[in-house]
Amino acid sequence: MADDAGGIPELDQKKYDADEQVKIICLGDSAVGKSKLMERFLMDEYRPQQLSTYALTLYKHTATVGNKTVAVDFWDTAGQERFKSMHPSYYHKAHACIMVFDVQRKITYKNLANWYKELRDYRPEIPCCVVANKIDADLKVTQRSFSFGKKQGLPFYFVSAADGTNVVKMFREMIKRAVDYKKNPSDFMDEVMQELENFDLEKKEDNSDADEDGLKAQSPELV
Amino acid sequence: MRFEAKRCGVQFSPPAIVLIYQHKDTNKVRKRIIPVRNFSKCSDYSTAAERLKNHPRHRDYLEGVSQSQLERLHIILRDHMQGFSLQHSLASFQLDPDQDLNKLDDDELARKKGQMDRLFERNQRCKDDPDFVYDLEMDFHTKEKCSWDEESDDGF
Repeated sequence: MADDAGGIPELDQKKYDADEQVKIICLGDSAVGKSKLMERFLMDEYRPQQLSTYALTLYKHTATVGNKTVAVDFWDTAGQERFKSMHPSYYHKAHACIMVFDVQRKITYKNLANWYKELRDYRPEIPCCVVANKIDADLKVTQRSFSFGKKQGLPFYFVSAADGTNVVKMFREMIKRAVDYKKNPSDFMDEVMQELENFDLEKKEDNSDADEDGLKAQSPELV
Repeated sequence: MRFEAKRCGVQFSPPAIVLIYQHKDTNKVRKRIIPVRNFSKCSDYSTAAERLKNHPRHRDYLEGVSQSQLERLHIILRDHMQGFSLQHSLASFQLDPDQDLNKLDDDELARKKGQMDRLFERNQRCKDDPDFVYDLEMDFHTKEKCSWDEESDDGF
């Protein structure tokens, strides 16, 4: 089945094909504050679902975009970033990506290039943004322009998970972009996957017919 | 909150968490020594901290003490049980901004995160704060190039 690429049996990633479901992934080094950002955005809604076997944390959120209700699943890494790359299922069917670095640690900024490259290997076209976190530690950083992602036209946000600056704005804009992307997917792979899945379904229907025929054909012999 | 935590520390022998707190009704400052039981050099500091934070007899007093601070104190306690000095424990919390934290194991990373959490907690705006704004937006106007972008070749 096409969804076997998902590889996580507990998580049926097929649901992300439904119109009212989007999947947004977070990328970035250890301790840049990815979970803290989620916590700040979700507040009372914050109920992380730990899937420690997969070094993965899921957060569910219900958003309103336009006049539609959208169920958003945020995927966070829970230490998987230590393996230098994420399992392909992490990227599978994602509709947007939030890339985070820590303004106090240059290495986390430099590593964005690696994260971005891996993201684009799997998801060449999904909306993505660059998030500079922990600006509360030193507000002077907000006077500097960080050029990573500029060439690719990625939106850039100065945020602080601690005092809340621009956290909600960033998440809301990314949810909207994920929904827009889903309406109009430009990833060639999405279409291929969709085609494969349709093909798969048709085949299955054929098979089940065949099985029935087979049974019918066999039963007289059995009797 | 009936009790305002003022300071929270650790005592090695017998192992205990020491809390200085102020009773809100009487304004009296008192000391509470909370024994740390069933905790050995092999125990999990995070579980132990959580257990203490939710302990029916102590949780009201510990409301103002963060989980991460309790974790840090348990780490210091466990280091001591393993024969490490207090200096060693404190040094392990220190952050080197150039260090690649992706390369640390869970325990080492928790120590660094503990340090970061201190800054986070200092600057944190909670939803109970009177001037809390959920959707806090701010525009920034950049004036200069960031030095981190120099010597860049890899797609920056």
